[in-house]
Amino acid sequence: MTADATEANDNSKRALEAKPPLTVMNLVKVYPKSSLPALQDLNLVVGNGEIYGLLGPNGAGKTTAISIMTAGLLPTEGRVEIYGLDVVRHRSRVKQLIGLVPQDIALYPDLTARENLSYFGKLYGLSGSELADRIAETLELVGLTGKADQVVKTYSGGMKRRVNLAAGILHTPRLVFLDEPTVGIDAQSRNLILEKLSSLKSSGTTMIYTTHYMEEAQQLCTRAAVMDEGRVIEEGPPASLIQKHPDCGNLGDLFLKLTGKNLRD
Amino acid sequence: MTKLLATVTKELLLLRRDRGGLLVLFVMPAVLVLVITLVQENVLKTVGESETRILLVNSDDGELGELIERKLQDSGKLTVHKHIEEGDIDERQAAAAIARGDFQFCVVLPQGLTQAVRRKARQTVRESLSLAPETGEQPVAAPVIRIYFDPAVLGGYRSAVRNSLQLMVYGIEVNEKMVALEELLPKKISATLQKEMGDFMPEAFTLPPAEFQMDWSDSPLLAFEEAAASTGRDGPTPTSVQQNVPAWTLFGIFFIVLPLAGSLIKERRDGTFFRLLSMPVPIFTLIVGKIFAYVLVCLVQIIVIFCIGRFGLPLLGTPSLDMGPQLAAIVIVALSAVLAATGYGTMLGTVLRTYEQASVVGPISVVIAAALGGVMVPVYAMPTMMQKISVLSPLSWGLDAFLDLFVRGGNLQTVWPEIAALLSFFIANLAVARIYFLRRTQYKG
Repeated sequence: MTADATEANDNSKRALEAKPPLTVMNLVKVYPKSSLPALQDLNLVVGNGEIYGLLGPNGAGKTTAISIMTAGLLPTEGRVEIYGLDVVRHRSRVKQLIGLVPQDIALYPDLTARENLSYFGKLYGLSGSELADRIAETLELVGLTGKADQVVKTYSGGMKRRVNLAAGILHTPRLVFLDEPTVGIDAQSRNLILEKLSSLKSSGTTMIYTTHYMEEAQQLCTRAAVMDEGRVIEEGPPASLIQKHPDCGNLGDLFLKLTGKNLRD
Repeated sequence: MTKLLATVTKELLLLRRDRGGLLVLFVMPAVLVLVITLVQENVLKTVGESETRILLVNSDDGELGELIERKLQDSGKLTVHKHIEEGDIDERQAAAAIARGDFQFCVVLPQGLTQAVRRKARQTVRESLSLAPETGEQPVAAPVIRIYFDPAVLGGYRSAVRNSLQLMVYGIEVNEKMVALEELLPKKISATLQKEMGDFMPEAFTLPPAEFQMDWSDSPLLAFEEAAASTGRDGPTPTSVQQNVPAWTLFGIFFIVLPLAGSLIKERRDGTFFRLLSMPVPIFTLIVGKIFAYVLVCLVQIIVIFCIGRFGLPLLGTPSLDMGPQLAAIVIVALSAVLAATGYGTMLGTVLRTYEQASVVGPISVVIAAALGGVMVPVYAMPTMMQKISVLSPLSWGLDAFLDLFVRGGNLQTVWPEIAALLSFFIANLAVARIYFLRRTQYKG
């Protein structure tokens, strides 16, 4: 790369970083054959280096919101910008900037962890020694270096979750969407994942985080939005939210207060 | 390009580790080709559609025995055997071999056939010319050629064999009678002249023998020809190998729909597809990569099965697969059929929601298309109505193109409509898949 090209690239990076990582404006999503909207006038702005929690019961619209934000689904109305780029119009560029850790174990169970990461890395444009180094780093980060050449279907639930996380951060994205990354795993694996997310946060990565575990959100998130029926009903830093509701001792109490105790299916 | 190659490599790696899928793709069609070809080869033998092995017991030591043997060998569809296990055979051994099913039928020419036929011919002609019998001449019985049929040989084919042999014998009979007539006709004329002219007839007068032109078969009085009753698939019919190898190969490659559709559904079900959608790679690259990998597998599948037909089946006693000289056309037909199969698999994998649905709809639809397309029963053997319906099956397009090239002397020009149909089927399936994909990404929640 020439000096001019490097400078142009740096300028472009700086220009991007000047914009907020995520801006959601008046987002509405109505599924066909559905009487209720999955998202109703959702508005969010997430700043650099934040871990923004999207909290809500089942069916609150968290996964729909993440699907639209990661260009996997078209909104009915409104728009999403990633570092100032419209997600619908600049899909390709946006996808270079984001990472996704889906709720499902989105891996090929018949491939090894290394083969999975290698494939996903190549799709992100990594190759050669850069790819090999990134695979080694992420495997070390999630504590799976020793088991990297074992097929994923032989892993425990916690190990699969860790590879799932590794695949989402392999290409060092600026903005990572994590959809329930610790669901259904043992305390040790969850603790390790939370530790790694904290270290990512300290390296400046912005994260959008959905979870059912309120203590996780309280521990990790700089800000959180409580969602229900497709809209945000409360938003702010966890401590401020709890302060705002003196009858609630923690985020869990607040969550139940805001969303009710009825079962959601 | 790197992303495409990465996708192809990933798919091939997954396929290599999918033992069930490999079994469906390679072992099933190979076994089907072997079993069905061998079974059908035997069936065709019993109806005379395939080369028939016959046994000849020639106890005659004259020209007629040799002539009959030559005519049987020249018939084209018969392989004439005169020995079993290195030794000459008698009628009893031949009958036992036929009863065992080793040969389809046996012709036994009796001892002294030539001599007996000639004497009988001479006697018959003499009687018909009302000439006095020769001194000491005894009536001669007509010699009998005996035929033994394998009990599995069907009635229609038996009649055809009997009629052909009868025709051959009749030709020989006419010929021998003419030979006798050549000799006896001048005697009859001399005797008649003697009677009419009395003393005016010179004593030493004898007529030379008549010299007839004997090549009767070259100047037939009547000819017949077989005409097509309807337009359509007429022309030479394939051997069981030429029919079954391409037919079951197509069946095998269309079974790719199961692993292909299954892999698309699994990616959706496991959330991998959702992850892929969030990556900076066009969906087109992912689909082309997947299709490319499966096309490669199918092409290997075709090569393996054609090699079985070419080199393996002859070891089991069937004819070798004759593919004709149009190699480039064969490759293009194969590629078109493979694309049609992968297109169908992609469509099913996009439209169907669960692996269970794909594992029912995929194989059943392929079996129906195979039955309609002439894979199980050749299209020419189907009732007219089914022949008309068969044109709807992509397997029929592929099979017809292969048979055109293997059997009917076709080339790229003659098979282009089938190639166009297969490629259109591929494109139509991808179009349907695209519509469903767009709907699904709109609706995904």
